[in-house]
Amino acid sequence: MLETVSALAMPTVVVAVGLLLLFGKSNYFDSFLRGAKQGLQISVNLLPTLVALMVAVAMLNASGATETLSNLLSPVAAHVGIPTELLPLLLTRPFSGSASTAAYSTLLEQVGADSLAGLCASVIFASSDTVVYVIAVYFSSVNIRHTRYAFPCAFAVMLFCIFFSCFLCRLWFF
Amino acid sequence: MLGKIFGILCLVALVFGGICGNMTDVANAIPDGAARAVEVTISLCGMMCLWCGLMEVLADAGVIRRLSRLLSPFLRRFFPNAYRTGEGAEEISAAISANLLGIGNAATPLALRAMEQMQKHNPDPTRADGEQITLAVLNTASVTLIPANLLALRRAAGSSDPFAIMIPVWLTSCLCAAMALLLTSIPRFFSKKGRRTQKRK
Repeated sequence: MLETVSALAMPTVVVAVGLLLLFGKSNYFDSFLRGAKQGLQISVNLLPTLVALMVAVAMLNASGATETLSNLLSPVAAHVGIPTELLPLLLTRPFSGSASTAAYSTLLEQVGADSLAGLCASVIFASSDTVVYVIAVYFSSVNIRHTRYAFPCAFAVMLFCIFFSCFLCRLWFF
Repeated sequence: MLGKIFGILCLVALVFGGICGNMTDVANAIPDGAARAVEVTISLCGMMCLWCGLMEVLADAGVIRRLSRLLSPFLRRFFPNAYRTGEGAEEISAAISANLLGIGNAATPLALRAMEQMQKHNPDPTRADGEQITLAVLNTASVTLIPANLLALRRAAGSSDPFAIMIPVWLTSCLCAAMALLLTSIPRFFSKKGRRTQKRK
């Protein structure tokens, strides 16, 4: 039942748009093409940033830094139930979407998409955002310098997200 | 900021690679990483095109508008000033609806316009207003109904069931959004109380 719901969500959207294209009054296919072109632009624009950050994350992993740091943190991490493989993702997530995409896809390649760490990373990646980046952009756009309790609240929500994701994945999948 | 992240990661890699004697691995990682970036972009690209196209159709068909009308009675409670004055109310609900549909590139300009509108009623323009903070924090915990990019990456990484994470993602992101609303409401609740007692004096 639950499996069907999650498998159906995406086809539902595709079929709904298909129905709009079939019965809609205006020419929605032009809208589709415009949007798809934007999507292409976004992913092409992503590549230069991603090249730099994928190289950096790959170097970090190859140097043994990730492993050493993970080993150092593993007693703590195991105690609170967070897989240590998540470390690069957790460190980059608040700052940059492309850096965390790099960390996320490297992680999936290393431990597999269906392992506990891969599943936890997926839930964290989907339900958190680039906290520092978003808040900086929002407030600097209106020249606000005192962000007051914005950062503490946003980081508290993100911490909650990390712990809850790992807890839920253990409960849900294993 | 990205430059700094890149620099820090490279320096740490160099130092650890030197200490652990993994310099050849580090060297090999450079061309591998660059090639991986292209692989990741290619596995994302098709899905990005498809999804942005579909969402553009939904946006043109007025789905964002309808969704934001559905959300406004609920959002009214958390943005009382914006809704009372009408400044930014539309943009707030449209930005949250766009986030919900996963149209990030539509959500950001809407949210920035909302911030600008709310700034008109901000008593001190250099200090963030309570409602502005709520909007910013809520958008960092944005609920997305279908995380299309993530599903494409999981599929490309060889997951047997990339969609299995959907319900945990919905649960987690809804709870995070609730946490964001709750946490940012606490200081506002107390400051309102404080202002009232001050007035009485």
